[in-house]
Formats: sequence, C-alpha cells, structure tokens
Amino acid sequence: MAPRADCIADSAGGLTFDVSDQGAPDPAHLVLMNRSSGEEVRLPLTPSGDGRLRASLPISVGLPEGRWDVYAQAAGDDPVRLMPGVNDLRSLVDRAPTGSRGYVAVRIPYVTKHGNLTVRSWFRAPHAEAGELLIAGGELTVRGRVYGTEFSAKACAEIRSRAATGPVLRGELTADGAEFALRIGYDELSEGRWDVWLRPEGEDGPQVRVARLLDDIADKKAIFAYPTERVAVGGRDLLAEPYYTVDNDLSVVMAPASP
Amino acid sequence: MQISFLIHNAYGIGGTIRTTYNLANTLAEQHDVEVVSVFRHRDEPVFTPSSRVRVRHLVDIRKDSPGYDGDDPEFGRPASVFPRHEGRYEQYSALTDRRIAEHLASVDADVVVGTRPGLNVHLARETRRGPLRVGQEHLTLDTHATGLRRELRSVYPRLDALTTTTEADAHAYRDRMRLPGVRIEAMPNPVPAPGISPADGSAKWVVAAGRLAPVKRYDLLIKAFDKVRAERPDWRLRIYGGGKQKDKLRRLIDQLGLYNHVFLMGPANPIEPEWAKGSVAAVTSTFESFGMTIVEAMRCGLPVVSTDCPHGPGEIIDNGVDGRLVEVGNVEAISGGLLELINNDPLREQMAARALVDSERFDPARIAERYETLFGSLTARGGSGGLLHRARGSLLGGAFAVRDAGRTVFKSPRKGRTA
Repeated sequence: MAPRADCIADSAGGLTFDVSDQGAPDPAHLVLMNRSSGEEVRLPLTPSGDGRLRASLPISVGLPEGRWDVYAQAAGDDPVRLMPGVNDLRSLVDRAPTGSRGYVAVRIPYVTKHGNLTVRSWFRAPHAEAGELLIAGGELTVRGRVYGTEFSAKACAEIRSRAATGPVLRGELTADGAEFALRIGYDELSEGRWDVWLRPEGEDGPQVRVARLLDDIADKKAIFAYPTERVAVGGRDLLAEPYYTVDNDLSVVMAPASP
Repeated sequence: MQISFLIHNAYGIGGTIRTTYNLANTLAEQHDVEVVSVFRHRDEPVFTPSSRVRVRHLVDIRKDSPGYDGDDPEFGRPASVFPRHEGRYEQYSALTDRRIAEHLASVDADVVVGTRPGLNVHLARETRRGPLRVGQEHLTLDTHATGLRRELRSVYPRLDALTTTTEADAHAYRDRMRLPGVRIEAMPNPVPAPGISPADGSAKWVVAAGRLAPVKRYDLLIKAFDKVRAERPDWRLRIYGGGKQKDKLRRLIDQLGLYNHVFLMGPANPIEPEWAKGSVAAVTSTFESFGMTIVEAMRCGLPVVSTDCPHGPGEIIDNGVDGRLVEVGNVEAISGGLLELINNDPLREQMAARALVDSERFDPARIAERYETLFGSLTARGGSGGLLHRARGSLLGGAFAVRDAGRTVFKSPRKGRTA
C-alpha cells in the first residue's frame, strides 16, 4: 500500500509532512514535483522519533505558483506518490499575515480526484486579498487588503474584459491604509468574463490581481458562491455573478439571461 | 475469541461501515477478527481497516473483476431469505441468499455479528450451531416498516443478543418486541480519539457536518445563523457534507444574504481536522438514531449545541455541562444556544474541556470492552447455540409470530418488563 503523509500547516504558512516509515534505507527525501514544469523541490526526510519520517517546507523555501505532486523517495529508488493522511490546516483558516515580507506565499495541501496528495502553491508580490463581497442593487462591492504595496493618490482598479480586444474599465476604489473597497456597477459590463485588478500606485505601478488565497481551501470556486443578479445592459438582460477562477482569482461572469 | 462481522458493503462510505471498522480494529488487538462484506464494488475499502482485520466479500459486483458475479442467473432473482421490507431488499438476490447461507453454515467463529436487520435475519436463521449470534441495530425500531418489525419479532428470538445504539431504542425493543432469551443492550457507536490536537476554542467558527438531507434541518441552522450574525457578525458557519438539499440551502443562504457567513463545504474525509477548525458544533436534526457527529465533535474538543431529538443527543450531551440541548425545530432556541456559547468565552471553554473528558466513554477501547463483557457473559450463560436454547428461541418466536396476526389492540402481557 502507498505510504501516507500527514500534513500540518503553521500560522506562517509553512508545512510539515509526517510520512509513515517504510523502513527504507537513508537518505530519504520528500519530493515536490511541479505538475506542469516538472521542476523538483527536494526536502530531507528525517526520523521524527515516533516511527515516522518528517520533512519541513518553511514559507521561506521558494515554491513557485502551481500544483506540486508529493512523492517520497528513498536513495536509489523511484519516487513513490504519497496518499493523504490527516491534513491539519486549522492555522490557515483565518490567516492574517503582517505583510512585512512584501509578498504573500500560500501552500495548501489537498487531495486530488484520484486520491493522491498534492500541494497547491501561490506566490504573489504584491498581493490583493479579497474578503467579503457585497451584492446589492446591481452592484458588486469587494472589500479586501493589499500586501507588499501601498495605495498612492493615483491608485485605481481595473475591470478587464477577457476578450482579446475587450475594454479595460475602471472600478470605483476607496482605500484606507492597506484596506480597500472596490465598487463595480454590473450595468457597465457587457456579456463575457471580467477579471478584477488593482493598480495601487496608478497606471505606472504594479498590476495586482485580486484573489482569495489566505485560508485553508485549495479550490474556492465551489465553496465561495454568490448570488446572481439580473441586470439590463444595452437593452438585454444579463445575469451577473462574481466567482473565483481555478487559480482563486476574482472574476465576474456576465451571461445571457434566459427569457 | 474469533469474531466474524457480516456487513452489507465494507468497501463503501457510511456510518455503519466506519463504526464496524472502529470496533473491529480495536477487538482485533486481542481477538481474531474478520469482516465479511456481502458486496464488493471496489478494489480497496474507503476506510482502511487495521492490518489485523481480514476483509473479504461474498458477492463481487466489480464489472472489471474476473470474479464478477453480476452475470450469475441467481443474481437477477429476488431474495427470499433477506426480508422483503428491509430498506436494502432490492440489492439482495437469490445469489446473496445462497452465499450468505453458505457462509453462515460454515463460519469459523465464536461470535457472529450482524450489522443490519436483513443480515441479522440471515444470522438468526442460518448460523451453524455453535457461535454466538449477535445482531446490531444501527437504525431504530421505529424507523422499520411494520412488515419488517413483524418479521424481526418472529426471527430475532433465535439471536443471543441484540445491540442498539441508544438506551431509548433498547427500551423500545424490550418493551415492544418481547424477544425471550435475547439479551438487549445499548452499545453506543465507538469513536476514536482524533489523530490531531483538540480545538483551542479561539476560532470564530461554528461547524456542522452531515448529509445535506431534510432530516438534518440545515435550513433551520442557516436561519438561526442569520440571528447569530445580527449579534456577532465576526462568527461564521461551515456545513460539511453533500446531498440533495444543496441547491435549496444555497438559495436560502443567498436569500438571507449570508454568503459571507455560511459556507457549504462539501464532503470531508477525514472530518476530524475540520471539527478542529471550529469552536462550537451544531446539530439541528429532527431525528438522530445515534448522533455520531456529536461524539466526533466532542472528541475534537467542541461543545455541541444540538436539538434534543430522538434518540441519541440527550444520551450523549450532558445539558449545560458539556454542551447544550435545545428544542427541536425552534430557530430561536437554536440561535439562542449558539449565542450562549459564542458570547461567553469562559463557559464555552469550560464546556469544551468537559466535552473532551465526557466523550472518552465512546473510545473504541471502552466500547470493545463492553462487547467483550457481553460476549463473555453470553458464553458463560451457555447461550452459544445450545440445542435447547435454539429450540426454545425458535418455538417462542414462532408462537409470537402467530399471535401477532391478531394483536393490534391488546397490549402485550409482557409490556413493562425491562431486562
């Protein structure tokens, strides 16, 4: 049977893996393999005293954004894909980093549909975290907070059409320290998908995608669901709905309403 | 002791399956234990049993398996031993009848344990002379169809013992089924200590977990949480589980504008790390045959606010001490119970500590001990298949079955007898 790994997250976002010891000869490694690039991050597995092997992935160890499949590998052997044990992610639930690092790094272990252990990683410098969304009167208001950047007087929000030649619209942004509120009138959006960005230092500064990353949920889309509003745009009825993409970035979809 | 469990499907997900493994794993530390699954629909069990527990199947329904039994002509013919009024009747067949009978006629065990009424009927009628016959009731007498109750009353006297998950249900069996010579005992479901540290009580989350089914009344929980939010917008609610009510509950959340406060999380396995993310657990059911989630939450250090519904919650929660019982179906009462714990940190922490201690009585080691005591006392009594006992059991069973036909108005002369 495939070895299992229990995984504990610390409040800084680091992960510790405890792997059932298969009695393999040292040295053994926990190998994180990037699913698209094939890049590997190798962490030494050392006996933890309770008959298991432990590897640590502190937040300071870089893990580029993406999906990382988790393997254990004994010296001279092929890597063995790990099955999930208990993922104790309670310290990630309401994570509130200070922002002093200038970036936000997030690693969330999850179980794939085939029942294997994979770590989802995000690295955003700077980052705009979406918090509560308020939907009322044909408007969406996003409340959130930025990390690794500050709002200047030129700060603005951009609602970008995903269509190749689609427009970039301005949202109404108010900032208070690192916190912001961004208002989007649905009737300004046409049919299609729209991505939400911030320009905290204006059009010359960095572009920051608004995303929801700071909790224990690897895939937000199904869990953070929001009501649909019916709005009239250019004489047509559209259904407006905010949602999180597969990368947990915030977008809005405008779909034709059935008559 | 050799102990053989008989279960509908040991390879799937469900309360009975989890409970059976929890018990089997613990008994296997001292005894020789096997779990015999009537059906096998996948290669490996979802819940991994201890390496000491042997798991095997009687009927293979894996289409890609060389041992696939679905093409057997008997597989398509209706069962005649498995009771017609049992909830799973449609899945049983002449083939299961035969395979189960063959298994029980030759079972190499000192104790045979059935895990649902239909299998208990097989056990009572077909177990070879020798092993103790122990039937488990994981649902309740009240939830069985009248026809099934009648059949159980005629057949169960051939069991040595029947276990229920609550005292209330044991009482119902003693009071209304009159099973002479059958030991009826409440055996709560075992719940192991979680493999993680308990919740520390600081997270501002209420957690609920269970199928999204009407009986769970999550609609009431969501409405109650609307009142919680009005007073404590800093607290939020997670509901774990999947089910048919999902879209309806989603609409209710949207209608009440609770989409920043109430989250439908989908199913989670294992559930323990999810309990540990909360500080209060909530149960709003109209009925719980036991209330396993209550014990699970308590073992993770959460006080539970639960409706005082039949049968389990009131036997698990010590009201006001390690949790709070509230009126069934009453939104105000549910939100009141939640707010009582949310607004009072010392009370919540005190109840959480008591919940941890009080739920230790459900530890598999304790429950397994109770089963060992039960098996031991039945063996000492000589109940293990003595010819006389069997004959008496089946004769009396038959007599009662006959009398049942004319018994709709008159109460049993034995009513009130509690063993």
